Amino acid sequence: MFSRTTLSTYKWCANACFRRSFATEVGATSNVSPSDISHSKKSGSPALHTSIILNRSPIITRTPSPFERAYYAYQARIHRALHNPFPYEFYFKQGSPLETRFNIEERRRERKAFGTPFGVDTSEKSEATELAEASLRDEDEETLPRIHEADLKNDFKNLNRRGQRNLYLMLLKKESGSDVWRFPQGGVNKGELLHHAATRGLDAECGTHMDSWIVSRNPIGVFHPPSQEPRIDSAQQEVVFFYKAHIMAGQVRPDRTRTQDFAWLTKGEIGTRVDPDYWLGIKDLLSDF
Amino acid sequence: MSAAARVAQTSQAVRAFRKPPKIRKPLKYDESGLPIPHVNLLVRDTHPCRLADHYYTTLQDDLMYMTYNHESGPRPPPRAIRLTYDPNDPYTKNRYNPPVGGSQLGKKPAPPTTSENVVRLEKISIHTMVKEALTSRSNLLGAIAAFRALSGETQLGGGRHSNEGVQIVKAVKTVGGWVRPGLPVGVKVDLKGPKMYDFMATLVEFVLPRLREFPGIIMPPASSTMNSPSAVSGVVSFGLPPEAMGFFPQIEVNLDAYPKSYGMHIHFVTNAEGIGAQNRARALVSGFQIPFTRK
Repeated sequence: MFSRTTLSTYKWCANACFRRSFATEVGATSNVSPSDISHSKKSGSPALHTSIILNRSPIITRTPSPFERAYYAYQARIHRALHNPFPYEFYFKQGSPLETRFNIEERRRERKAFGTPFGVDTSEKSEATELAEASLRDEDEETLPRIHEADLKNDFKNLNRRGQRNLYLMLLKKESGSDVWRFPQGGVNKGELLHHAATRGLDAECGTHMDSWIVSRNPIGVFHPPSQEPRIDSAQQEVVFFYKAHIMAGQVRPDRTRTQDFAWLTKGEIGTRVDPDYWLGIKDLLSDF
Repeated sequence: MSAAARVAQTSQAVRAFRKPPKIRKPLKYDESGLPIPHVNLLVRDTHPCRLADHYYTTLQDDLMYMTYNHESGPRPPPRAIRLTYDPNDPYTKNRYNPPVGGSQLGKKPAPPTTSENVVRLEKISIHTMVKEALTSRSNLLGAIAAFRALSGETQLGGGRHSNEGVQIVKAVKTVGGWVRPGLPVGVKVDLKGPKMYDFMATLVEFVLPRLREFPGIIMPPASSTMNSPSAVSGVVSFGLPPEAMGFFPQIEVNLDAYPKSYGMHIHFVTNAEGIGAQNRARALVSGFQIPFTRK
């Protein structure tokens, strides 16, 4: 899941915040020693950004692999062979329809585990058994499909796609003439707490038509975007702090004028779309499954 | 062999059974005439566990971020309260080394946050006291049956020596001519592993929503001390009234088979320790949708 590098990057970034109780943007003159002033007047303090990793958690259980299924089936057979005898008379009244029904279901489970029995006369059936079998036949339990139609249509905007996986929201932005996929991001006002800025940035980028929850007040990672122009001392350095959030209900409605497109993507799909630099910064923050 | 054929073969192997191996050495028999297998049989997980998956896919990461406590550099060594005991010093060599006075329990700081010690559920412990057992110990039988149905645990169940099943709780202290030490007074069961998560799921989905006027686990007021033993032990405890027993589906099917309904105390035991442990434990338990409230 999340590797130790996540923690270690966080340690590094918290040091950068000069050990305040909450992370805020550093004032232009504070915490700068007199010897540095001449240098820092030119370069200025780094521009802070907060970015939200908006996560849709798995909504269905994972499909077990063939090996896991074989393992579970084997263990279930051992369990069935060794279990204590079931106290029928404690749970059922003698000859009640519930008992007949349970007997039929139990026989089916037994047959599934150990195969068809032999030497047992099954031709003669009581009336109650036949009635119970008929009622069992009438019940048609329907299991819902584990693949949603959004998977078949490749609908990346549907929140029901890839139900077994962790999905993350990515936005398609036009930055300096080219299309870039990135997480929703916002700036930090002077004196504003980082986790407040994160909430504000999420609302501004994704709209308010969803229930979301930002997990912690601590950022979960930090990223230093490489500057576009060749390295000059006067260029302002940029820092992006990542926060994790969950979507509970609703859907994102990004501003059409500022955002080209959005998509709910798994980690692997994100890796194929984003810039290599950005990928190096975020790949350890995302869940592999 | 084509890939499709190989897939078909592996998927078939899940259900089809091979011939059992030939028995070369006859099995030994125990005193009741039952065969003893050549190997120690252990029953392991028989199905994937939904809540355990939920913990590992979602909760664990969130809890790590929520409970992360940043420390710059290694911790300073603990303050030396008095001279340490030096066994080679001829003065102290054969003298008694008295323990430091005072309770240090509530002052122990939490261990440094790492990705390995994220708070997790270790076990769920359920117990009940049956007052009628003081007059006749056979009154415990109903509670034992109910707890067996609730937990699905049996002694040495699945071939595990650590499985203690439903245990009888005996009195430890004398209570005013009423309880004597050694008298059976109640019943308890410890749940671990998949059964623990199954119990949690039943509690959250079948029992708590149907309880009348259950606002959630009542937390102590915010002003209460953070250093009390209960606040640093990492255990979340609450009680269920006797009416709640009938809402467990295992018991609901034949509620009238039990002599009466029993209330119970439930303890969620986590690995959280040190200052603030109970808050971390609450964060974990509320991740399994157990509600909390203040009075």
